[in-house]
Amino acid sequence: MKDAARNEGNDSDLLLVERTLAGDAHAFELLVIKYQRRIQRLIRRMVRDGDLGEDIAQETFIRAYRALHQFRGEAQFYTWLYRIAVNTAKKFLLELKRDPLIVLNNLKPNDEEDETSHRLNEPISDETPESVLAAKEIAAAVNAAMDALPDDLRQAVTLREIEGLTYEEIADVMACPIGTVRSRIFRAREAISARVKPLLEHRSGKRW
Amino acid sequence: MNHENLSQSEQVSALMDGQLTGPAFEQTVQVLAEVEGARADWYAFHLVGDVLRSQALAVDGARDAAFLARLRLRLQTEGQVEQPEFATGSVDAPALQDGAGVIKNFDKASANDTTLRWKWVAGVACLAAATVLAWNLTVGVGAPAAPPQLAQVAPPVPDQPPAAMIRDPRLDEWLQAHQQLGGTSALQMPSGFLRNATFERPAQ
Repeated sequence: MKDAARNEGNDSDLLLVERTLAGDAHAFELLVIKYQRRIQRLIRRMVRDGDLGEDIAQETFIRAYRALHQFRGEAQFYTWLYRIAVNTAKKFLLELKRDPLIVLNNLKPNDEEDETSHRLNEPISDETPESVLAAKEIAAAVNAAMDALPDDLRQAVTLREIEGLTYEEIADVMACPIGTVRSRIFRAREAISARVKPLLEHRSGKRW
Repeated sequence: MNHENLSQSEQVSALMDGQLTGPAFEQTVQVLAEVEGARADWYAFHLVGDVLRSQALAVDGARDAAFLARLRLRLQTEGQVEQPEFATGSVDAPALQDGAGVIKNFDKASANDTTLRWKWVAGVACLAAATVLAWNLTVGVGAPAAPPQLAQVAPPVPDQPPAAMIRDPRLDEWLQAHQQLGGTSALQMPSGFLRNATFERPAQ
């Protein structure tokens, strides 16, 4: 059942890819907004360095943009993007091993006597206390909003976002028309994002 | 599914789930490109979905915004993405439909198109073979060629006196006076052109 839902999303991705290839760069930005968090988390787990991880994530999307004409929609867009991210991260790690200067600059603390310095092999993160707090606030807001949703909305969005069911499958499960499913999922998203948006705008402003 | 009466945000939600196609898809993507509120919905809805699936994906919105702004600058320097080049006949050329409903086919012949390339190679090879054959026939029709002359150097004439070698007499005098400095004609090590200017005592 999840495969069908993934295919729905992949169809949308393929249309966005085709639109990008037709010359609409905004369509590619929509794909970036959709996948940037998953790609960044994947790379951060590989390189254990926040700044380097962001650079690699940037490079991943640039490479994907350059190679977009090679994407034929045979695999999911995220699978294709995932491979690019892993290969890009591996290439960066290989270059780090080849160039000891870069390794030292990236991994070795500047002042070994400084008690605030990182130890070797210790995960290095660019997260500030403020950003960590903001992330926790967002997670808490989402959870609180989910708890406050009416049952039918919560069930609909759960079946879609967590279980990955298609609209048709959700309609069968909830015994309602597809239009109702679409409306419930939208209203649930709108209610949750109403709690999240003030946090986003407070921290980042409207830059989307 | 009728999408005409959907609100802008509801269309964004439907687009996320792959429910929009054709004109509805085009229209919503266009709205996302132009309307900041629609883009905010697109971001917030995806963030909510990510957080519902994994709390670890709850991130600071400022960081996401900074990431996208940086990438946007880099994409501007990239220019337009390369258009696909599909091999005719080997891969189905996909069709793109623009906003006006025009189908765009990418049917350019690719570099690895086997048919086109080998047609050219075969044609050039046939032309070269025909030229060589015609040349041989034209030359072969004439008189038989004389047997090949292996040595074309004229034999020496014994009656003529040997040509006198022009040498600087002062060099001979100097070499005779400094025989201990002059090299022999059988030096162990090569010494350049001076080896040819050694003084050879005339035979007694």
